Amino acid sequence: MANVAYQLGSSGYAANSAHSAPHAHPSWSPYDNNGGTCVAVAGNDYCIVAASTRLSTGFSILSRDVSMIFKLSDKLMILSPGFQADARTLHKVLQQRYIQYQFNHSRPMSVAACAQLLGNTLYYKRFFPYYTFNICAGLDEQGKGAVYSYDAIGSHERSGYAVQGSGKDLIQPVLDNQLKAASPLVLPPENWMSSLPLDQAVDLVKDAFVSAGERDIYTGDAVEIYIITKEGTRREVVELKKD
Amino acid sequence: MVDPKAAAAVHSGHDPIKHTTSPYVTGTSVLGVTYRDGVLLAADTLGSYGSTKRYKSFERLCKVNDQTIIGAGGELSDFQYILTLLEELSNEDFCADDDAKLSPKEIYAYLSRVLYNRRSKMDPLWNSLVVGGVQDGKPFLGTITMLGVHYSDDHIATGFGQMLARPLFRERHRPDMSEEEATQLLHEGLRVCYYRDKQTTNKFQIAKVTTEGTTISEPFALETKWDYKAFVNPGALAMGTW
Amino acid sequence: MDKLDFSGLCSRPFSEKSSAHLEDLSAITSSVQDFPLPQVQDVDRFESEVMAYVKPNHGTTTLGFIFKHGVIIAVDSRASMGSYISSQTVKKVIEINPYLLGTMAGGAADCQFWQRNLGQQCRLYELNNGKRISVRAASKLLANVMFSYKGYGLSMGTMVAGYDPTGPGLYYVDSDGQRTKGQIFSVGSGSLYAYGVLDNGYKWDMEVEDAIELGRRSIYHATFRDAVSGGTVSVYHVTANGWKKVRGDDVGELHYEYYPAAEAHPCFGTDPLEAA
Repeated sequence: MANVAYQLGSSGYAANSAHSAPHAHPSWSPYDNNGGTCVAVAGNDYCIVAASTRLSTGFSILSRDVSMIFKLSDKLMILSPGFQADARTLHKVLQQRYIQYQFNHSRPMSVAACAQLLGNTLYYKRFFPYYTFNICAGLDEQGKGAVYSYDAIGSHERSGYAVQGSGKDLIQPVLDNQLKAASPLVLPPENWMSSLPLDQAVDLVKDAFVSAGERDIYTGDAVEIYIITKEGTRREVVELKKD
Repeated sequence: MVDPKAAAAVHSGHDPIKHTTSPYVTGTSVLGVTYRDGVLLAADTLGSYGSTKRYKSFERLCKVNDQTIIGAGGELSDFQYILTLLEELSNEDFCADDDAKLSPKEIYAYLSRVLYNRRSKMDPLWNSLVVGGVQDGKPFLGTITMLGVHYSDDHIATGFGQMLARPLFRERHRPDMSEEEATQLLHEGLRVCYYRDKQTTNKFQIAKVTTEGTTISEPFALETKWDYKAFVNPGALAMGTW
Repeated sequence: MDKLDFSGLCSRPFSEKSSAHLEDLSAITSSVQDFPLPQVQDVDRFESEVMAYVKPNHGTTTLGFIFKHGVIIAVDSRASMGSYISSQTVKKVIEINPYLLGTMAGGAADCQFWQRNLGQQCRLYELNNGKRISVRAASKLLANVMFSYKGYGLSMGTMVAGYDPTGPGLYYVDSDGQRTKGQIFSVGSGSLYAYGVLDNGYKWDMEVEDAIELGRRSIYHATFRDAVSGGTVSVYHVTANGWKKVRGDDVGELHYEYYPAAEAHPCFGTDPLEAA
């Protein structure tokens, strides 16, 4: 366990003004929110993964073409809206672990294994969290769509679809309305995966982003979509409004 | 993980180590655009001490190697430290004598880790960096903030330039611009920064990277025009925001 | 068989736009005991600010009780981040092993992580000692971990329930390090509502079906009055043969099962003052 000195640490979080700087700044924060929305939908034989490409800070748009989707493989992706620097760091850590896993086990990582790894990786930063709200999505070992969603410190859950990021409040209720099946918790068990055919699900996702782009300042520019089936993975980009 | 010196300081009753919680001598915006043959970066040469024009000939654009230049805003002492880090890396490459050089993307990736790891230690390097270069015959332009947020784009502006110059870039920039056109665009960007950002002086440099190598211009001044009606008597035309 | 994908090893790997050094990998592979702390003077303040910022999942009603035929565990399934309902399908009963259950209240990540960790510890105990761990010992393992992290801001209120050679066991363990043996517990923001129904209906020698129904009804009434409880009611029954999930009902449907006619709901009863 950490000793007391460790707890006291070595720095000043939130400026203590022993010196007064010539130009006073509000206290510094190690976090920023760069916005962005992502959606994943699991079907019986497909998985759709989509994320907006706008990078913002405050009221500024920093860039219009920055991907939030991290491809571990063609069938396994991680989407991370939130603080871009944390997200990229997280992706690098997972990339490293993914390669190491393949050396050790001589096979690709399953979505379930990756989902647990991501949960543990996030929890490891429990006391100084990655400010990212992840979705881990892909095809499971039966070829079914698998979607896991997370909070910032690693609690996670598998579901039929998931929405994270700044447009979550706008899109989640729409998907609840269109896709919601029985809870995975009910007894006797009922099918809880989305039963929508692939093309309709893709259209739904596109519509959801177009609508979110109208009302969420952090969603816009373009949405990057991956459609994962056992035949392969297809990438599409749909342009959104730039305002 | 814990800094032993800091831990010792706590034990002996001394103040713990102080970190940068606000910058002292600062530079303002850096602008950058890609064009047909490479990348151009632009910045003024002022080091401000609060609102004092403390250093008027501080070169904020620096050559890293023949294919890379970087520009910096924010705390200038931190920028000088970053230059020593890059110099160390270049020296290692020189000593290896294998003709290997850091590519612009490698430098960009390296600096993004440096800035992120320092913010993670709650001891940030207070800079916005712009990295420009040519790699595999293609222009590369990227930027990194003090928190480690980083992205590459066809045109970039940090600080006030993000609000003042970037809209001009968004309107006029094309990836296939000639050097003259790109320079013209940067001049426009610098000029609006000079008009509206009080931390900008009329003494600028433009740095260029192409496959031919890097050059950094001598400082120059832009022609300005201060007799716009709105400048002469700002109150006369102010009709309220709505 | 899928081909192995080592493209991440290439010098220009997964993303066009960047490639780079890794941040402190050794830290991930090291033991769970050394989570990095922020290098700040006031960790407490940092932790409370950061938790307000990241808004982890919260909110719950859970209950458990021992009776003649074993242990009943019942929980809701809602998680909220501030006022936003982040999930209606959270699995708040954590199946530690076939004879042990944990319940989840407080921070979802803290509960999930540490009860999974408890599962590992219990399995190691079995391998070392050639027999299953008692509920008493298992709950103490968890309590010891919680005590060692006391003051670090973990948030967990859990019941460890199970069956061992000494009979049914039920312990309450929380992130303050408290550990209490008991017959009846309810934990979470809706626990007071659940206690009201539970204490009123509890008898030691009830039939299994009645006990299951009592657990379910208690959670249902908690979801009715507590805004941050809801979703699905899950009920588990633990016996000498291990645990079994016995109920899983959507709260919306339960409402009409309990009150088929809306006007017959007690809240539409006669006002005694007007009646007089």
